[in-house]
Amino acid sequence: MIKLPALLAAVLMAMSTALHAEEKLVVYNWAEYIPESTVADFEKETGIKVEYSTYENNEVMYSKIKLQKGKGYDIVVPSAYLVSKMRQEGLLQKIDKTKLTNLKNLSPDLLDKPYDPGNGYSLPYLWGSTGIGVNSKEIDPSTITSWADLWDEKWQGKLLLTDDVREVFHMALKKNGFSTNSTNPDEVKVAYEDLQKLMPNVLVFNADAPREPFMAGDVNLGMIWSGEVIMAQADNPDIHYVFPKEGAGFWVDSFVIPVGAENVESAHKFIDYMLRPEVGQKVVEELGYSTPNAAAKALLSEELQNNPVIFPSAEIMKTAEFQNDIGDAMKLYDGYWEKLKTGE
Amino acid sequence: MKAFKWSFIIAIFAYLYLPIGILVINSFNASKYGYEWKGFTFEWYAKLWENEALTQAFLNSLLVASLAATAATLIGTLMALALHRYRFPLKATASSLLFIVMMSPDIVLAITFLVIFIALGIQLGFWSLLIAHITFCLPFVVITVYAQLKGFDKYLLEAAQDLGASESRIFRLIILPLVFPAIVAGWLLSFTLSLDDVIISSFVTGPSFEILPIRVFSMVKVGVSPEVNVLATLLLAISLFLVTLSTLLLRRKH
Repeated sequence: MIKLPALLAAVLMAMSTALHAEEKLVVYNWAEYIPESTVADFEKETGIKVEYSTYENNEVMYSKIKLQKGKGYDIVVPSAYLVSKMRQEGLLQKIDKTKLTNLKNLSPDLLDKPYDPGNGYSLPYLWGSTGIGVNSKEIDPSTITSWADLWDEKWQGKLLLTDDVREVFHMALKKNGFSTNSTNPDEVKVAYEDLQKLMPNVLVFNADAPREPFMAGDVNLGMIWSGEVIMAQADNPDIHYVFPKEGAGFWVDSFVIPVGAENVESAHKFIDYMLRPEVGQKVVEELGYSTPNAAAKALLSEELQNNPVIFPSAEIMKTAEFQNDIGDAMKLYDGYWEKLKTGE
Repeated sequence: MKAFKWSFIIAIFAYLYLPIGILVINSFNASKYGYEWKGFTFEWYAKLWENEALTQAFLNSLLVASLAATAATLIGTLMALALHRYRFPLKATASSLLFIVMMSPDIVLAITFLVIFIALGIQLGFWSLLIAHITFCLPFVVITVYAQLKGFDKYLLEAAQDLGASESRIFRLIILPLVFPAIVAGWLLSFTLSLDDVIISSFVTGPSFEILPIRVFSMVKVGVSPEVNVLATLLLAISLFLVTLSTLLLRRKH
């Protein structure tokens, strides 16, 4: 009987050393936005235990990080506009690039953008675009070339728009030759007035999965995300994707390390791992979104490399404008947005 | 008139059960998106079996829901008894405070919980989630049990006291059997509420403990996979089994 406490103590000690010996990494991301096998491979190779936690939109993630003052998570994957917001609010820490051996794999096309000049705080993971989806069974895709085409009266009650203020305004701002990040009240007003004219054509606003109404045959024309087109085409090849000539909307999700991260070393190892060419290749093959990793792109099949939905031409990329945080101007957009949706 | 009655009943049941039926059918559909029938398959069942993250989240959800429901039922029943039997200062305030928790929008509770947990230094994860779930389930139990208590004849209690029954005996032999259906209902209600909750949970849980609704909602980014249909089908089968079991048990008793 005397031995029991000693034994217990020994077990406890063994457990606590085991706990300490194990390196950990807490990832906060969309569910399945990193293939599970990739996470498992990383754990096997490095011995770092990954805790993968998920959120359902950027805003939940932001409020949680903000309220916890950047503690609790080691890797987060926010969209560009939030990278700039979180960076300015001091919620992110600098990425130590000397610890990354695979940085050279990233294509310069997606680096050094206004949301994080010099990429001090973020490195791009995946990106995609918002363009026009067309069902070729009902509408000839070659007749749709621009956002302005959606304003045509013949589409009355037929269009799908994404339920996203910035994306819908992007369309109208670009149509009128303005920047998607415009904070000029006059320009935003012009866009709003133009959108009012578009409203009779709108059938539905879709928040989660614009591909669904296209696949169900409820709509044949409207806004859609590139990744959704890839998913939809697997089931229904009639769904086409058009890059409007005024400029599609572009978004990018990036790896960042919150300022209060506890496992900074592991976080850098993870980012470096994700930047490997063969890892990037696998991510594109599984998810259908575009990779900023040039070395990974080179490993993909000809078919994927030449798929214009995933990898638009250099011409399109040159004019690509990414969404930025627009600060207080957001209130202006939101006000107009509400008016649009309530039909005022 | 009879034809109308039947078509009305059928319409209501179709409205309630058709979506569930389609979900079950789609869990066997080879098509990933379920817009058309592409053949019968068990593929998604096998995939779910391999999808460790999703099954783990599912088990976590069941664990939290049953613990939260049990704790909320225990505390809530006692609270309802107190409100019903005893007089104490601020009794009215206590019961209306419960309504406030019930009527508050989830997002308000979510932020409140998060702020409190951070202020108290409670690490976000299993315990914070459990505490939050017990809290928002509590008023529903109190109200269900209290309504039942109010409904029964108070002379029953007085008669028992007259005949010299002790307080604990009255509770065991009279109150408990009478309110038992309400307690069960309160438990089931809490279980469902806890299992469903997304908003509060996504704020108060931590990386070490992930639950099903958050994971499913988070899948919108890459597309909700048919494994979720399978999971819902299994959940439906489990609840059907439990409901049948309880009906059979109750029938035998009477």
